[in-house]
Amino acid sequence: MISRRNFLIKGIGLSSTIALASSYSGCSPKIDRRETLRGPNHTLGHKLRTGTFPKPTQIIKTEVAIVGGGVSGLAAARILKQRGIEFRLIELEDKVGGNSHSDKNSVSSYPLGAHYLPIPGTYDKDLLSFLEEENVITGYENGKPTYNEYYLCFDPKERLYINNHWQEGIIPVNGVDRKSTEDFDKFNELVKKFKALKGSDGKEAFCIPLHFCSDDPSIKKLDTITFEFFIQQHKLSSPHLLWYLNYCCADDFGGTISTISAWAGIHYFCSRKGSASNAQPDAVLTWPEGNGWLVNKLMKYAVKETTTNSMVFQVGYENGKCIVDYFDAIKEESIRLVSEKVILATPQFINQRILSGTLERKIDYAQFSYAPWMVANIKCSNHLEEKRGERLSWDNVIYGSKSLGYVNSNHQNIQLFSDRQVITYYLPLTGADSNAERKQSHQRSFKDWYELAIEDLKLPHPTIEHSIEEVDIWLWGHGMIRPSVNFISKTSFDASAPIGQKIFFVHTDTSGISIFEQAFFVGTQTAKMITV
Amino acid sequence: MAAQNSHKSFQLLLLLSVFVVATCGLIYELVAGTLASYLLGDSVTQFSIIIGTYLFSMGIGSFFSRFFNTNLIRWFIQIEILVGLVGGFSSTILYLLFEHAAYFKLILYLLVGLTGILVGLELPLLMRILKDRIEFSDLVSKIFTVDYIGALLASIIFPLVLIPYLGIMKTSLFFGLFNVLVAVFICFRFRSDIPGSRFIIIEGIVAIIFLVLGVIFSESLLRMAESMAYSDKIIYSKSSPYQRIIVTKNSEDIRLFLNGNLQFSSKDEYRYHEALVHPGMLNVANPKKILVLGGGDGLAVREVLKYPEIESITLVDLDPSIIELFKSNSLLSDLNKSSLFSKKLTVINQDAFVWVRRQTQLFDFVIIDFPDPSNYSLGKLYSLSFYKELKKIVNRKGCVVIQSTSPYFARKSYWIVNETLLKAGFNTLPYHCYLPSFGEWGFVLASPTALPTTDIIPKIENLNFINRETFQQLVYFPPDMSRVPSKINTLNDQFLVQTFEKEWSHYTQQ
Ligand SMILES: Cc1cc2nc3c(=O)[nH]c(=O)nc-3n(C[C@H](O)[C@H](O)[C@H](O)COP(=O)(O)OP(=O)(O)OC[C@H]3O[C@@H](n4cnc5c(N)ncnc54)[C@H](O)[C@@H]3O)c2cc1C
Repeated sequence: MISRRNFLIKGIGLSSTIALASSYSGCSPKIDRRETLRGPNHTLGHKLRTGTFPKPTQIIKTEVAIVGGGVSGLAAARILKQRGIEFRLIELEDKVGGNSHSDKNSVSSYPLGAHYLPIPGTYDKDLLSFLEEENVITGYENGKPTYNEYYLCFDPKERLYINNHWQEGIIPVNGVDRKSTEDFDKFNELVKKFKALKGSDGKEAFCIPLHFCSDDPSIKKLDTITFEFFIQQHKLSSPHLLWYLNYCCADDFGGTISTISAWAGIHYFCSRKGSASNAQPDAVLTWPEGNGWLVNKLMKYAVKETTTNSMVFQVGYENGKCIVDYFDAIKEESIRLVSEKVILATPQFINQRILSGTLERKIDYAQFSYAPWMVANIKCSNHLEEKRGERLSWDNVIYGSKSLGYVNSNHQNIQLFSDRQVITYYLPLTGADSNAERKQSHQRSFKDWYELAIEDLKLPHPTIEHSIEEVDIWLWGHGMIRPSVNFISKTSFDASAPIGQKIFFVHTDTSGISIFEQAFFVGTQTAKMITV
Repeated sequence: MAAQNSHKSFQLLLLLSVFVVATCGLIYELVAGTLASYLLGDSVTQFSIIIGTYLFSMGIGSFFSRFFNTNLIRWFIQIEILVGLVGGFSSTILYLLFEHAAYFKLILYLLVGLTGILVGLELPLLMRILKDRIEFSDLVSKIFTVDYIGALLASIIFPLVLIPYLGIMKTSLFFGLFNVLVAVFICFRFRSDIPGSRFIIIEGIVAIIFLVLGVIFSESLLRMAESMAYSDKIIYSKSSPYQRIIVTKNSEDIRLFLNGNLQFSSKDEYRYHEALVHPGMLNVANPKKILVLGGGDGLAVREVLKYPEIESITLVDLDPSIIELFKSNSLLSDLNKSSLFSKKLTVINQDAFVWVRRQTQLFDFVIIDFPDPSNYSLGKLYSLSFYKELKKIVNRKGCVVIQSTSPYFARKSYWIVNETLLKAGFNTLPYHCYLPSFGEWGFVLASPTALPTTDIIPKIENLNFINRETFQQLVYFPPDMSRVPSKINTLNDQFLVQTFEKEWSHYTQQ
C-alpha cells in the first residue's frame, strides 16, 4: 500500500528539489551579471571632514529639528506628528532608514542592513502600540498580543551547515562531542538564571529597552569585564560553544566575546522576553525588506517634513535658539534651521564634527568603536544546489565561517515555488581594531568582496556561481556600535545627556546596543519628554 | 636483521589485510541485508537469509581454496581487489536493478554469494601463505583474532556512523575503495616477491578509478535508480518546473506518480473522487459556482460535471503540464471523461495561496486536493492563514472539502488539519474511506456556518460508492483512527509538517 519506492527515494537523501535543481543548472557562470558596490554617501561624509560649506542663504524656523532619519529619528518624528508639533527632519542619504533601509530588484525587496525584530515584551508599550497601528499586532488573547501570521517568521527558521550537513537550528548538535553538550547545558542554565534575575531595585536584570534594566551594582559590575573573561570564569571552553557565542556577538554587536563586555554579552541571550498568543517567546518578525518594512511605516509620519540628500554640518546654540545648518547637495546650497529644540539622531562620530565647539559635552569620543559590515544581496536564477539535511530556511548559518551566513529574502512569501531568489549575506568585520578594519574594507574592490562571499557560500552550495545574476554589495563603514567594557554603563550613558535641555541625543550608540527596539524607544521617549 | 624486519612487516601487512577483508566483508553483508529489508520489507527474513547465504558461501570459498596452489600471494591480492569491486558496487547494482526483476532476489543472493565465496577464499589462502613463517597455533590465534575484531568494528560503525552519515550506496563504495587500496599497497610493497605485480597494480588502479567514479556519481546514479523504480511500464515521464510527473500502465490500471508518490490508480480512483466531491456537493443547497484547488487531473471536475445545474467551475493548479497531459493523452482524457474540455471550466495556472488571497468573488463549494503536507512549502497550504483566506471566499451557506492525508497512517496529522479548520472558524465534519491502492484515506468537510450533515440525498444516479448509507458509515472513526487532541498548524509553527514526517517515516521504516 505505501510504496516502498517512497522510502527508496527519501532514504537515499534525494529530495525532489535536488533532482529539479540539477535539471536546470549546468550552464556556465554568467558574465553579464549585474554588480554593484555601494555604501552610505561617501563624498558628502568626506566633505564633513575636510570641506568648507557655503554660508546659509535661507533661514527656516521650526519647533524641533531632527537630524538623521534612522529609526531613532523617525520614531521621534512619529510622536511629534501625532502631537501636532511642527518639525523638520534632515537626512544625509537620498532616503531615510539609516542602518535599517532596504532596496529591491526584479525578484524581491531585500534588506541592506537590519532584517528582523524579535517580538517585544509586554512592558515595551510604545512599541506595542506602534505595532498595533500597523496591524502587526492584530488583537489580544488573554492579555497576550496576537501577531499577524504573515509577519511572524515562517517555518523552517534556522539551519546550520556543519560536518557537511545542514542541521536544524543554529546551536551545533550534529557530530558534537559530550563536552560541548555539557557546556551548552551549563550555559543554558546561566541564561535561565540571568533571564529570571531581578536587581535589588526590583527591576529586571536584563531586558529591552535597556532603560528598564536594573541598576543594581552587583549586576552592572558585569560591564567591567569582557564576556570572554566571564565565560572563562564559568569554565566554559568547548570550541562549539565558543563559536556559537562569537557568532551571536557578531550578530548583534559586530564584535567577538573578547571585545564586548560581559553585561552586553549576557544581555543578548537574556533580554528577549517576548510574549504572544500565537508564537513562541523567542519568535521574530521579519519581512522581505527586513526592518525596511518598519521604516516605510514610520516614514509616513514625516513625508512633508523630511529633507533628504542634505547633510547637517553644524549644530549650535545662539540667542536662546538652536541652530542647525545643513548643506543641500541637490541645490548645492546651505540652509539654516532655527528651532526651539534639536534631536540629534546621528551617531557620535558625526556629532563630534557637527556640534559647535562652544557646546560642552562630557564625553570620550575615542571610546566609540563601530564595526564595519558588508552586506551582499545575491539574486540567483534558480534554486541553490543543496547538500544533505534540512531545507532552505530563513536564517542559514555556516559553522566556522567568519560570516553570519545568509537570510532568504523570499522566505515570507506564501508562494510555493519561485524560480528566482534573493539571499542576503552578512559579513561583520569583527577585528578588535575597528579603524584598521574600516580602512582595509574601504580598499577592497567589488571583486574582493565577491570572492570572499562566494568562497564561503560555495561550501554548502558548490555550484552557486552558476546561478548568480545580480550581486549588490553594501558596505557599512560604521555599522554597529560595539559595547566594549564600561561602554554601556559609562560612555554611552554620558553621551545620552542632553545639552541644556535643548539638544538631545537619541542615536543607538548612546544606548550602547544597536537594535530597533532601542532606537525606537529612545526616539519616542525623547520626543514625548520635550513636548510635555 | 633487515631480513627479519621485512619479514615482520610482511606478516603485519598480511594480518592488516585480513582485518580489512573481515571488516569490509561484514560491511557488504550488512549493506545487502539493509538494502534487502528496505526494498523487499520483512527485515527479519531478509537479514536471516542473507547472513545464511553469506556464511555458506564463505564455506564454499574455503572449500575451493584448495585448488589454488601456486602464487598464493598473487591470488590473495587479486581476490582482494575483486572483493573490493564486487562488494563496493553491490549496493549500486542492487538499487539500479530493483523492480526490474522477478530476478531481483536472485541477483541479490548471487552478489551476496559471490562476495562470500571471495572472502571465504581469503582466510585459508592467507593461512597457507603464512604457515611456514609463523608457528601454527600462533598463526591460527592471530588470524582469527584479527578477523573477529574486524567483524566487531564493522557491526558497530555500520548502524552508528556509516548509514546515518554516508548512506548505503557511499558506504559500500567507500569500503570497496578501501579494500582495493590496501591490496594495491601490499602488492606495491612486495612487488619483488610477486610475479606479475605490475599487472596487478594496474588492475587495482583501474578498480580504484571505477570506485572513485562511483562515489562521485553516486547521486546521479541514485537519480537514475529512481526513474527506474517503477514496476509498471512508464508511458509518460516529465520534469515540470514544479514536480516530476510519471504515468505508468499495466494490463489492469493506470497510475499517476508525482515526485515518486502515487496519486491515483485508475482501478479505484472513483472511490476517492466520489468521496471527495459528492458529500460536499450534496451539502450545499443550490451549488452553482465551484472552485477546485489542485486536482489538475480533471477527475474531481469530472464528478462535479455530473450535476447539470452547475454554472461554472474554476480550477486552480500550479502546474500547466499536468493539465496539458490530462487533456492530450487519450487514455487519461478517457479517464476524466474529457472534463478538462468542458465549457463551464476555467483553468488558472497559479499558486493557490496567492490566488485565493487575491479573490473577492464567492464560491458555493470549494474542493481542495493538494498533495500531502510532506514539506514546509506544501505545509503552507494547510495553515491557519490559508484557511482564514479560504473562509473569505466561501459562500456563507457553502462548503469546503479538504483531502487531509490518511487518518490511519498519519492519524495525528489528519486531526491537526481538522483542528486548524476549527480554529479558522469552520464547522467541520471529518470522514474517511477505504481505497484499495492507498489504504484508509481522510477528508474534512467544512462549512462557515452550519454543521455539514450526513443526511445527504443523492440527486444523481450511477454513483458507485457514495450514497446516503455509505456516507453515514464514513463519518464513523474506529478507535485506531479516532480524534486525538492536537495543536494547530500555522505558518510560523508548521506543526503539521513535523508531525506528518514523523508519522510517515515511522510507518515506512517498519
Ligand atoms: C548590517 C546591519 C544589520 C543589522 N541588523 C539588525 C537587525 O536585524 N535587527 C535590529 O534590530 N537591528 C539591526 N541592526 C542595528 C540597526 O543599526 C538599528 O536597528 C537601527 O537601525 C539604528 O537606528 P539609529 O537611528 O540609531 O541609527 P542609524 O541607522 O545609524 O541612523 C542615523 C541616520 O543619520 C543619518 N546621518 C548621518 N550623518 C548625518 C548628517 N551629518 N546629517 C544628516 N543626517 C545624517 C544617516 O544617514 C542615518 O540615516 C543592524 C545594523 C547593521 C549595520
